[in-house]
Amino acid sequence: MSPEADFLRISESVGPWVSGSRTAGHRLDMDTSAERLVPAVTAFKNLSWGYLSAITGLDSGTVEPSDGHIEVLYHFCRGPAVVTFRVKVPRGDPSVPSIGAPVPPAVLFERELAETMGVRVTGLPDGKRQFLSDDWPENVYPLRKDFTLESAAATGEPAPAVGSGEEPGTFIIPIGPQHPALKEPGHFELTVDGEIVTHASIRLGYVHRGIEKGAEDRSWVHNIYLMERICGICSHIHATAYVLGVESLAGVAAPPRAQAVRTVFCEMERIHSHLLWLGVAAHEAGFDTLFMYSWRDRETIMDLLEELSGNRVNYSVNLLGGVKYDVDTKAADSVRRGLDFLERRTKHYMKIVTSDESFLRRTRGVGAITYDQANLLGTVGPTARASGVSRDLRHEAPYLAYRDFPIRPVLDSRCDLAARFVVRINELFESYRMVREILDRMPAGELAVPAPRKVQEGEVISRVEAPRGELFYYLRSTGGVKPDRVKVRTPSLCNWAAVLSVAVGHKLADIPMILVGIDPCFSCNDRSITLRRRGSRSLENWSWEDLRAYGISYYAGGAT
Amino acid sequence: MALRGALDKAALWSRINSPWLVHFNSGSCNGCDIEILATLAPRYDLERFGVKLQGSPRHADVLICTGPVTRLARERLLRTYEQMPAPKFVIAVGSCSITGGAFHGCYNIVGDIGDVIPVDVYVPGCPPRPEAIIDGVVQLLTKLRASIARPGGAS
Repeated sequence: MSPEADFLRISESVGPWVSGSRTAGHRLDMDTSAERLVPAVTAFKNLSWGYLSAITGLDSGTVEPSDGHIEVLYHFCRGPAVVTFRVKVPRGDPSVPSIGAPVPPAVLFERELAETMGVRVTGLPDGKRQFLSDDWPENVYPLRKDFTLESAAATGEPAPAVGSGEEPGTFIIPIGPQHPALKEPGHFELTVDGEIVTHASIRLGYVHRGIEKGAEDRSWVHNIYLMERICGICSHIHATAYVLGVESLAGVAAPPRAQAVRTVFCEMERIHSHLLWLGVAAHEAGFDTLFMYSWRDRETIMDLLEELSGNRVNYSVNLLGGVKYDVDTKAADSVRRGLDFLERRTKHYMKIVTSDESFLRRTRGVGAITYDQANLLGTVGPTARASGVSRDLRHEAPYLAYRDFPIRPVLDSRCDLAARFVVRINELFESYRMVREILDRMPAGELAVPAPRKVQEGEVISRVEAPRGELFYYLRSTGGVKPDRVKVRTPSLCNWAAVLSVAVGHKLADIPMILVGIDPCFSCNDRSITLRRRGSRSLENWSWEDLRAYGISYYAGGAT
Repeated sequence: MALRGALDKAALWSRINSPWLVHFNSGSCNGCDIEILATLAPRYDLERFGVKLQGSPRHADVLICTGPVTRLARERLLRTYEQMPAPKFVIAVGSCSITGGAFHGCYNIVGDIGDVIPVDVYVPGCPPRPEAIIDGVVQLLTKLRASIARPGGAS
């Protein structure tokens, strides 16, 4: 169905609650008010069209704090089409109702909106901070235009004790933020009854650096390098999403050869990311041999990336209007040789994950996210595709060279961890095929066209398929040398809701595997803080401070 | 006393031959963290130097840190460091851990690793290559080895 017909149907259904609507290309923007938002979204939800992709807050930025307005944008996506509900609220008292009832995954986005933009979201459950630190002062919102670093001085508020809300007789196992072998710090609290997890919650924000605000202080060009450093695994795709957005705002199109080179890097990055995940996931299962083998083989693709760009991790390929590096015939030949080797190895890995009995016992039927859950909770990427939800922007909304080199989406309907392994390994084969095809039919021509230093006024949504799923960028320009607003919604944020809900009911030992199944790369270092002391029948809750003091005095020889 | 001195010497000798690492990310983009893992994987094989990455800070000799320090991670970095038994050493990996790197000036960054805990070896790069990380570890071990010759041993 074409987006126009869809948009007509949507406009008719939500018509009574919107005051104005505009269509431009693949976008439908509808103005509504805070009072009418929930009925409008409910009516929209009843159409079963698309999923909530992101919530963006925009500050009009006037000098007087009480003047002006804050605009909240709710972006729903399906394929290439984006439907946006826009709500304007006064800057002096910004308040919107939560849409968590009709759209459950909205809750995490709304929390981010409330913390960073200072929009009160009424009806939002669970008041704990998710992104900012506990010592962040009240009523200071970093994404407001009048925010200053001085106003955010720490209040000295101590972090709340972990497990303070613990019911007698239950245990809360804190996982993280420091992990034995791995990268990203996050904090999970798993309530367990014996071995079975009865509740799971998450605290994010350990790596929250304030990049969206930082981007407003840097020029359009400077930001390519900042965006590349949002994630060291999918660095290229972040820069690509950003430059595609800026190019579309500035009315510049990268030449076909540049687009092909960007696509080659996108797919090679996916290869390195999926191989990395395979190793990490195997490590979580206690299968370190597979971890070591897949990381050894991953070095092949790292060498190729280095050969093409000179860098192993942040390739720095993109420019506004093109790319820096060409892929010549000699480099193409070594890429082909490398891919031949990797393809042989990947076949071997496929055999292992589908036939090794002890491995299958850790994955088959574990952590199942049903089709309906995946759909409702807004999962993206391989996690969604392993539950049979066909969400792949390379296929549904082709960008770059995916228009000329169509991708075959990889789906699996078994929904469990085993399916997530199979989907990602099959995507590796698909990526090998893509890279080879593009190298064989590389378009000739220039690598870059000049791009303006200032970008004309306007807003744009740029969506691409990162290794972990849909990556969403919203960019707004006021015509200057710096962006007015950069909103980034990364795929992992979409997948948390699903993974936390399926974790409940599983054995504690399966949790690392389930968490890693969505590819956030987690390992766990669990330190239970509820102690049953020898000789005492009662449970004692220890705060982190107590535990820390105990640990220090124990090692200093003070404890007996 | 003589026995104590001999034991300390033996402990330092074994520490140099088999330092245990604990890794903490205080706000990094993952680039350095992945490279640290790649350094431990078969191609670069840091374990040749007896280095072992393991989970608990209580068993570790060396804290290998990445990233600038975010407001939320600052406390956790301190806790991780305090949980390590003395003597302990810190390697800061990547440009962010030295100056804040690309994130310098962002609102949720409190500073670099050196602002929070004492650092013994800095490894620059964005991210540093595995060879550079190996060099950083070897430099730390060399420093330790030199301290054997000094009376009183390592700091």
